[in-house]
Amino acid sequence: MAMTRREAFKNLAKGSLPLLAAGCVSTALPEVAHAEEEKVAPQGALGLLYDATKCVGCKSCMVACSQANDLKPDTRTDGLHQAPPALNYFTKNIIKLYRTADGSDHSYFKQQCMHCIDPGCMNACMFGGLRKDEETGVVWWFGGKCVGCRYCEIACPFHIPAFQWDGFNPKIVKCELCRDHIAKGAKQPGCSEVCPTNAVIYGKREDLLKEAKRRIAAAPGKYFEGKVYGEHDGGGTQVLYLSRVGFDKIGLPNLGENSIPSGLKYSHMLYKWMALPVALYAGMVAFAGKNFKQHTHHLVDDQKKTGLRPQL
Amino acid sequence: MTRWERSVPVYGVPVITRGFWALLALIAVGLVLTAVREVVGLGSNISGMSDPFAWGLWKTFNVMVLTGLGSGGFAIGIAAWIFNNKKLHSVMRVALLTSFLAYSTGLCMLGVDVGRPWNFYWVVMPWTWNLHSPLLEIAVCMSLYATVPLLLENLPPLFEYLIYEFPQWRGIAEACESAMKKVYPFIIGLAYILPIMHQSSLGALMILGGNRVNTLWQTPFLPLIYVWAAAFLGYNCVVLCVLLAKLAWKRDVDPDVLAELNKLTVWIVYSWTAFRFVDILFRGKIAHLFTDPYALLFWTETALILGPAYILSTEKGKKLSTMFMAHAVCALGGMIYRFSPTTLAFHAKDGATYFPSAIEFIVSISFVAIAVLVYLLAVKKLAILPGSNAEWLKMAKYEEQVKPGIQLTGYAPVEH
Repeated sequence: MAMTRREAFKNLAKGSLPLLAAGCVSTALPEVAHAEEEKVAPQGALGLLYDATKCVGCKSCMVACSQANDLKPDTRTDGLHQAPPALNYFTKNIIKLYRTADGSDHSYFKQQCMHCIDPGCMNACMFGGLRKDEETGVVWWFGGKCVGCRYCEIACPFHIPAFQWDGFNPKIVKCELCRDHIAKGAKQPGCSEVCPTNAVIYGKREDLLKEAKRRIAAAPGKYFEGKVYGEHDGGGTQVLYLSRVGFDKIGLPNLGENSIPSGLKYSHMLYKWMALPVALYAGMVAFAGKNFKQHTHHLVDDQKKTGLRPQL
Repeated sequence: MTRWERSVPVYGVPVITRGFWALLALIAVGLVLTAVREVVGLGSNISGMSDPFAWGLWKTFNVMVLTGLGSGGFAIGIAAWIFNNKKLHSVMRVALLTSFLAYSTGLCMLGVDVGRPWNFYWVVMPWTWNLHSPLLEIAVCMSLYATVPLLLENLPPLFEYLIYEFPQWRGIAEACESAMKKVYPFIIGLAYILPIMHQSSLGALMILGGNRVNTLWQTPFLPLIYVWAAAFLGYNCVVLCVLLAKLAWKRDVDPDVLAELNKLTVWIVYSWTAFRFVDILFRGKIAHLFTDPYALLFWTETALILGPAYILSTEKGKKLSTMFMAHAVCALGGMIYRFSPTTLAFHAKDGATYFPSAIEFIVSISFVAIAVLVYLLAVKKLAILPGSNAEWLKMAKYEEQVKPGIQLTGYAPVEH
């Protein structure tokens, strides 16, 4: 399968890139597809494990999150309660309810940044306004390099980064695993700290993964597909999920095992060492130079005939 | 039959017209709303954008669509200068002007669209660049293209204006012109490689959209399909401009050059369409062409682009009114194509929709109005639109009557 697809790309490229020097591309293609190394989580990768079967939907994690991050509560719905309809620039963490139309089945679910191992948002960001901590793998926003282009919102398959739509000098707001809160002395993020049922726990990704697998082994058939969402999904995430209902029901898209940025590997190789653009430029200057000389001779001849000033 | 031999300004028509004031009024309204947007933000009282649909009309239309239409500068330029298609030199100035106006207004619009434009200064510091970001590539290449090669390519008509109208500047202008001639191949090389890079990166942008972009559009070859679409959009735009000049100012047309432009448009459209189908075939998504809810959009695009191209390839396409309609419809199809991956075929989130607000429309159109205003001014003051030598002589006679002392014929070259 993989072989035929690669061949397919190769043939496509061969047949269609007269404009972009086809040869170069098709020979480099299989090599680069392999060369693109798979990203792995950093040694001290931190994360959360959220077990939807334990969540009772009390939303205390939402309040704790607002407090830990000094966020104003989003009371825009009724002017009274903190009731955001979705993650937004007031809200880095939210509890939602999945329920079938007839009410026969339901599950709560939590949404916050997944802290991807190979984040789409960071790959999209022009100057490094979104960064991944080298030690903890936490993805955080650095305003000094953010242009406010909102490409991170396009590139995030989980709909996490939220743009401050109102006001001057807007921010991108997203869960940063309480990195500031913890730097100030807290032991863990607001959400996991207050969770009364331990539906969300905080720790090193590898420990959380072990714990998740232990829970699956301890209760066969309880968890959807006996799978930890985030172990491999979208190239792997540092926030992991367990659920009884299907992951697509609780806002987790079916991404396959490739990360979002890996979709660009075929484009990147066109720019490898800038070799192809530079070669194309040199070739075009050579042709243009030759044709330009001819053209200027032609202009001079014309001028002799008409007496009108030649136009470049 | 007319031959396009040189560019000739539009003469004998007023510059300040009712349309001029209307455009100016629209621009004024747009600029006021832009100021409001800067203070208030992009919230629901200003734009229809939201977190799921974070990109709206301003990016998709003013940047993606208009720079596509403004791709004549490189698409026709490559045919003329690299493949030595001599006939096409006559329309290069129209192509370059439309390109410059599309790119410069597009970049300004981008500055209005983004939330923190003042942080854009990092673009001049390469060590802060995230080389993995397609948007970075666009930011660097597009600004470089618009401010260096494209700007330089647009200077010769201005030099000529100085030479004819301000004799005291003639020396400097001619020196600049001859200096430019020495490096011209290096400039135009840059003027072709940069758009190939950033027009394809516009496609690469949406690769990060993943499976939210419908599978009929989402492909690793999105960059190639985007740059190729830019090519025919550029041809459409230039043909429409010269045909509109015929309509508005009764400028003569050169059927040979138009036939050449049509031939290339048809060729680009055919190969582009074929490539899209081959891509879908190889990705194994053929069934989606008939079953996907977005298939209708795909077929609409294809029909709007392919149908006119077919008409252009037949005898009927030689009639100017048919030719005009064909290019207009083809351009419309191409513009819809450029709307698809970001908006029309972008399934942002269940239940999420986007429709531009009135303010978005007005600001968007007002930036187009800036381009139109400058275009109208430029073609009336500078030698942009193609014409014959005879047309030039008529123009010279008229101008020499109106402005005594001006000399537009009998040019004697300065010895350098």
